[in-house]
Amino acid sequence: MTKNEVDNFEKVQAQLEGLHTEISALSKKSQNDRLNKFKLKFVNQILVDANKLLGDKYRPFSDFTVFDDIEMPSNSDVAMMLTQYLNCFEKLRADNIRMKDVFPKNWYWIIDGTLSDIRTVTPQIIKEKK
Amino acid sequence: MGNFNETMIIIKPRLNDFYGIPFTQEEVDFAIPFLDEDIPLYIDPFLFWKSPSQQDNGLHLSVINSFNYLGNQYFKGNSDCVQTLIRISECNEVGLGSSKTKIGKRIGEKLATEILSLYRDIPQVTKSGFTHFEEIQLYVDNIAEDRISDISANFIKSFLIDYTIDQCEKHAIPIEKVRVDVFDIKSFGFKTEEVFLPQNPNTKQPILLVPKRWLRHSTFINYEDYFSGYFKKEVDKKEHQFERIKVLNFNRQNYDLVKTYIKIKERHQADCQNDPLFRQIPVLSAKRKLQTIIKLPTGKINNADKKYEENLCPLLASLLYPHLDFAQAQSRTDSNVSIRDLIFYNNCSEKFLKEIYDVYNCHQVVVELKNTKEVEPDHIDQVNRYLKDSFGRFAIIFTRNDPPKKVMKNTIDLWSGQRKCILILTDEDLKMMCEVYESKNRNPFEVINKKYVEFTRLLPS
Repeated sequence: MTKNEVDNFEKVQAQLEGLHTEISALSKKSQNDRLNKFKLKFVNQILVDANKLLGDKYRPFSDFTVFDDIEMPSNSDVAMMLTQYLNCFEKLRADNIRMKDVFPKNWYWIIDGTLSDIRTVTPQIIKEKK
Repeated sequence: MGNFNETMIIIKPRLNDFYGIPFTQEEVDFAIPFLDEDIPLYIDPFLFWKSPSQQDNGLHLSVINSFNYLGNQYFKGNSDCVQTLIRISECNEVGLGSSKTKIGKRIGEKLATEILSLYRDIPQVTKSGFTHFEEIQLYVDNIAEDRISDISANFIKSFLIDYTIDQCEKHAIPIEKVRVDVFDIKSFGFKTEEVFLPQNPNTKQPILLVPKRWLRHSTFINYEDYFSGYFKKEVDKKEHQFERIKVLNFNRQNYDLVKTYIKIKERHQADCQNDPLFRQIPVLSAKRKLQTIIKLPTGKINNADKKYEENLCPLLASLLYPHLDFAQAQSRTDSNVSIRDLIFYNNCSEKFLKEIYDVYNCHQVVVELKNTKEVEPDHIDQVNRYLKDSFGRFAIIFTRNDPPKKVMKNTIDLWSGQRKCILILTDEDLKMMCEVYESKNRNPFEVINKKYVEFTRLLPS
């Protein structure tokens, strides 16, 4: 990944997490309710950015790009898809970060093939194992 | 869009449907006139009086002054005013009321004299006149909201002409030169004016548009309200002592009592709101109707088909409002089967509705109701026959369960062969429509759009 891509990744991931929190709350309240057009428009904008970053390799489903407004997706549909995207983002991140051998052994982004000084958090999968 | 195709049938046509002008009732300031029948609402002068608009207040003053002037003339012995009152008692151009023919009858000389004699018989009226002339309903039999409405319309006809021209220019409604009799407040008589107004294409009668904000199902001050809400509590405490005529005579003798009632009504002016031409059912009621429909068995067991229709008709009319104005429910017989359908005006208020208007020539949307276990090819044929030359080439079937594959193939073949689109919506779609009706996140009509897009995806390219 390039430095720009890492910057973009962190922005889009934060946006996805924000949306996921928001829409999961809506989904818990009324899962079959349809997401309104306003929210759906922004969900789709963020998904477009996410798709660019993930590329074909990391995209959760090859036949899904954005939500079709006409299909009137429900809160739970959108929440489910956002979870998938967040997982794939995490996979992409895990593949592009490494822990420095020196103390205090933090995790850093690999930029253009070399370990950078841009710090990141421990991959989710390792956190869970701990 | 031009005038609508002569071979097409429009059910309960309205002025804009005839000219193919796409606006919904919600979007315009006036009540859209029907071409074959009257609008079942009335002008309530009380709404002029309570309006915050100085213009409306001015019109009220003009109406009251004109009416009191007529009464005053009668009191002074001028018999011409009886004929004037007879002439202003009907205003066919506004087309309000319950007439199915759009032609009303004027009051008779006896009734006109009886009304004007109030200015002679009630001293307070002789002295000060009325402040709300709809009060005459409380003294004279055979006078109700229709007369009040028509008298008001005639007094403000000149204003209504200007308003109509203004609205016609705004919405591109064709107008033609016509001659109309207008009440002239300077001479207190009628004069004929040549003006430009829309015409009823069937009768060639000029049409006057009336602002929605002045219309109610009945006047705020009316006999029934007076009798049940005031008279029975204040005077007729032992019920059924007074009959209508006795009450009217009693009122003439006890003017102060009526005056108190009028004061109470004035104090409660906030309760006086205009009535819309169509009122959506509340969400709770919609949910109740949906539950009733879902629990109904298919077929005709215990009149389930009738109950299905009774519940679905008001539900759909509310769900699809304001994007599709409800025209009417109809029954017809095809191959000895009674078929119920609902007709909605299509005024292209949304992209999808514009598309079906253009592609399928759909001026009115036909919705057939089928409380059957599954839709059969025969049902598709029935709709197809019905669409022939009448409603364009688009229809919706509302039924209980998903259609079998052969029926879907049938609808696809129909599109391929004749470019007709028949959508089949089920209980599941109805549930979704009710969900969005409640949450307001989307519009229920979008469910039809969704089904349409799903249908087009099945079509051969």
